[in-house]
Amino acid sequence: MTICRVDGLEHAFGSVTALDGMSFTVEAGECFGFLGPNGAGKTTSIGILTGQLTPDAGEVEVLGLDPTATPVETRHRVGILPEQQPPPSFLTPREYFEFVGQVRGLEEATLESRIDTWAARLGLHGKLDTLNTDLSRGQQQKVMITQAFLHEPELVFIDEPLVNLDPLVQEQVKAFLLEYADAGNTIFVSTHNIDVAAAICDRVAIVVDGACRVVTEPDGTADALRHRFLESVERGASQGMPAGSGEVSGE
Amino acid sequence: MVIDVGTQSVRNGEDGGRDDESSPPSEDRSANGGLGLEWTLFRTLWLEEWRLHTSLFGGWRFYGFPLVIAGLVVAGGYALTATGYSSDAILLGVHVTALAFGLYSGTAAFAGSDMLENVFGDLSLLLGSSNSLPLSRRRLLGHFLVKDTLFYAITIVAPLALVVVPLEGLGVATLSTVVRTWLSMTLLFAAGMAITVGLIALRTRGLPLRGVGWVGILAIVGWLAVGRLERGGVVDPGRAEPFETTGGPGIDAVVLTTAAPTTWLAVLLGTVGLGALSLRVYDPSYTTPARSSEGRVPFARYRALPGTNPLVAKTLVDLVRSSGGLFKPVVSIAILLGVVAFLVTVVREITTIEPALGVFYGSVLGLSAFTTYNWLTQFDAVESYGAYPVTVEAVFRAKQLAFFLVGLPTMAGAYLLVMAWLGPPVLDAVTGFVLLVGLALYYYGLTVYVAGFDPNEFLFDAVRFLGFTVGVACLLLPTLVVGFVVVPLTATVAAALLATGLVAGLLGHLLARRAARRWADRYRRGQA
Repeated sequence: MTICRVDGLEHAFGSVTALDGMSFTVEAGECFGFLGPNGAGKTTSIGILTGQLTPDAGEVEVLGLDPTATPVETRHRVGILPEQQPPPSFLTPREYFEFVGQVRGLEEATLESRIDTWAARLGLHGKLDTLNTDLSRGQQQKVMITQAFLHEPELVFIDEPLVNLDPLVQEQVKAFLLEYADAGNTIFVSTHNIDVAAAICDRVAIVVDGACRVVTEPDGTADALRHRFLESVERGASQGMPAGSGEVSGE
Repeated sequence: MVIDVGTQSVRNGEDGGRDDESSPPSEDRSANGGLGLEWTLFRTLWLEEWRLHTSLFGGWRFYGFPLVIAGLVVAGGYALTATGYSSDAILLGVHVTALAFGLYSGTAAFAGSDMLENVFGDLSLLLGSSNSLPLSRRRLLGHFLVKDTLFYAITIVAPLALVVVPLEGLGVATLSTVVRTWLSMTLLFAAGMAITVGLIALRTRGLPLRGVGWVGILAIVGWLAVGRLERGGVVDPGRAEPFETTGGPGIDAVVLTTAAPTTWLAVLLGTVGLGALSLRVYDPSYTTPARSSEGRVPFARYRALPGTNPLVAKTLVDLVRSSGGLFKPVVSIAILLGVVAFLVTVVREITTIEPALGVFYGSVLGLSAFTTYNWLTQFDAVESYGAYPVTVEAVFRAKQLAFFLVGLPTMAGAYLLVMAWLGPPVLDAVTGFVLLVGLALYYYGLTVYVAGFDPNEFLFDAVRFLGFTVGVACLLLPTLVVGFVVVPLTATVAAALLATGLVAGLLGHLLARRAARRWADRYRRGQA
């Protein structure tokens, strides 16, 4: 079942074109990778998919909703981990989770139990009552990961999820993401890290210059995906591929 | 760009950017390439500041800013001269403005050192370079202060100095008077900055912020007490001013335009000396220890306040827990209060006009809506709410509610305190109170409409600044004129002013609502 559909998205910030005919679909229960170099349009795409930005042209559907028309309802149903965004400086992680829980309408008991679970999973127990501004960047990223999953959404958009995390926690987070997708949920991972995409994604869209160039199924190793990625980037740079000409292939 | 890093700082340290912090600035310079490096640092900081503003506002909107200031000052000068104000009073006014701006520039950093990190952390060479290059923070801070003084001296103080033109007219000697006035005002601006930077330095040496606040309050109380004693302990509550100039600095002491060279030299040396001493005292290795929720009012308590929601509670926590806490809006209004009191006194002495104090204070104190809104948005960005199921409009509404909870009570408290001290007629005080609330709501709505979520940034945008100034002047000037001319207030005039207050409040509310929709649309289009 298609859970997310994007067709011919276009968006520009002044004279800079961010999206130029972006098209792809995401199926329910998969871990979908969104792989591209810096400035490829990944974050802009997530902004539109979660109703934070209005596209200049094109169609988008998330969980049967139009995020442009119903941005709040869309964000109620999905989880979002923004790229490089720290949690609010002057709240503690516990208070921040209370804030998120109240905004998302979670029951107090449910919230308490999930805070405990996540604190144990990411080793945050000793830091729950320290102001976020005084946490390390890695700890802040753990807090942000937790807020995205606190309401256990069926679809989660995560932008560079493993940044600032130590190797051990990176492995824990990767394992959790796989487990979460296995439970029937959908994960949309935006990254420029080929190893991450190869390790956890069922399918990977390679994004270059604001358009999806190819959708591929990695074989679990990074080499083939790396080759495909470099090929797409080079082809896009040297020839200027037509917008929205993404092909679908298996490895 | 190549920077001669020298060897001294590398030898001294073990932790990267903080390595040469124990060395005084003079040792840094001798070890790191002499004046060539100093010039490189200064030039780079200057370039960064310039490009920051030009890129933020799109070039001409920034270049036009000093012209807007100059236009307003010259027009204001002609208007004041035409209405009988003396040159001394006007010159004193612009000098006090320069001093207050210097104090405020420093106070913003002093009362909100989190803001300093927040604002400059990612943008400025100031903090970034000391973490990655063998350059001390102390040294960078020194360059930063000199750069800032020059930058503001050119963009703000210089156009203010053109006030001389309406006072003297255009003549052969006008240019030299403008230059002397500019230098005089720049020196006062720098002195204001040096004072507050000195306080920042003391803070890094363990002087608690609250202690500094109390010292300030005690100083004011002391000044008042001395004033009372000098008047033989007899105070006429109808005329007494908390910042009475009798026994305080006179015009000659503030305006250096006509001062003797020795006075210039003394003020110059005092300012430079204080700045240098502040840098010496400043501890670059100072960091805030990890803070926990222990001993702090928990988030849930803010959430439980009547009329709040999680977004409002978060804003309140940001304000209360950031450096300076609730002192920030109090300090802002105290500075405004000081300036107003000083100007009222001066105007009274020079023109012998006894203003309607309630109307005057009420109208002007409402301007602190701008600074309060600035504090409420300082640690926030609309984009950071993108992960939650809330609208941009809801975020703006939350800021407005927080303003009701923090801004209005602070203003009302300050106003009532001053009124209790001065004891104006009841009709005047009540009218002033309604004007205070109504105009504060109007200034708030106007600020949000013009500046969106970034009130601090619009200061250097000529178009926005002009729009804001005109919007403020439309209601402020008429009420001030009435406050000076119709004394004591008649029932008819009071009724008209009360109506003005009510209309202003309503207008402010509508502006705030429209602003939320306007900016929400811009954010969703990626144009904000």
